[in-house]
Amino acid sequence: MASHKLPNYIRHHRKRLGLSQEDVAFLLGWNGSAQTSRYEHFCRIPTLRTALALSYIFQSSIHELFSGEKEEVEEAVSKRAQILEEQLQRKSSSRAAARKLDFLKSIIIPKAGRL
Amino acid sequence: MTRPNSHSSRVLAIDPTTHGFGFTILESPTMPVDWGMPVIRKGDKEKALVRVTALIKQYEPNVLIIEEPKGSRRCGRVRELLEAISLIKVKGLKIRRFSTKRVKKVFRAFGAQTKYEIARAIAHQVPELASWLPRFRKPWMSEDKRTSIFDAAALALTYFHSRSIRARNSERTGLIPDSIVVSAPPVLLN
Repeated sequence: MASHKLPNYIRHHRKRLGLSQEDVAFLLGWNGSAQTSRYEHFCRIPTLRTALALSYIFQSSIHELFSGEKEEVEEAVSKRAQILEEQLQRKSSSRAAARKLDFLKSIIIPKAGRL
Repeated sequence: MTRPNSHSSRVLAIDPTTHGFGFTILESPTMPVDWGMPVIRKGDKEKALVRVTALIKQYEPNVLIIEEPKGSRRCGRVRELLEAISLIKVKGLKIRRFSTKRVKKVFRAFGAQTKYEIARAIAHQVPELASWLPRFRKPWMSEDKRTSIFDAAALALTYFHSRSIRARNSERTGLIPDSIVVSAPPVLLN
């Protein structure tokens, strides 16, 4: 079993506030509770507008509300940054490239910190 | 770049009853992820197992906690379900069993002896559950169904408590426990 964060904590926040799925759906401007349920069961990822609305409803930051999703995105970006870094190291050694490399190093997650 | 504690364990505690089961999922002694009491009519064991498996699949817990079926005074159907749950095999999922005696012993240390006192202690420790706290049960009243959520939470908190004690003991002896040490010791009550 994985010990990483859950993709989102919508259900936790909803239950904490005593709201029903219908209530959340209404606040989001929908008719039924189906979409809320899909988010809670990690079947769908909300759009940016919905994520912002959820963050406002639950008075919680997006990265707190979607911590698992955030981890996954960071991981993926970090891996791509590593590839870009390797490509740059092979290609050029100009000052601009060195600046880029410095930046890329700052967003690469060290292997020990990876899941 | 700093990373959150990726080794924190997710704990699923289940308390079967005659009308379904109560469950609580905690990521730490103060962080409940989900809780509830699915109703399963006619005490259908298969249906209950399907619901438990669905919870495991959705939340991917590291530990599943149930009451020790051996020596339990629960009814036959509940004991059967406990036995069946303890046979669930999922990769990376540990199953821990605690007797009612053990749970009561842990909470006694914090001044809670009766079921209601334990539920109140849990509501104090985990404020998210406070609105689910059942009313005080008078002798002529039957047990509120919501009590099963608190019984499950009591099992989960007993696990966190015993884990922190184990971690403290192994720190003292200089041994590193096989499981990662809890980041903060659980404070059950003030």
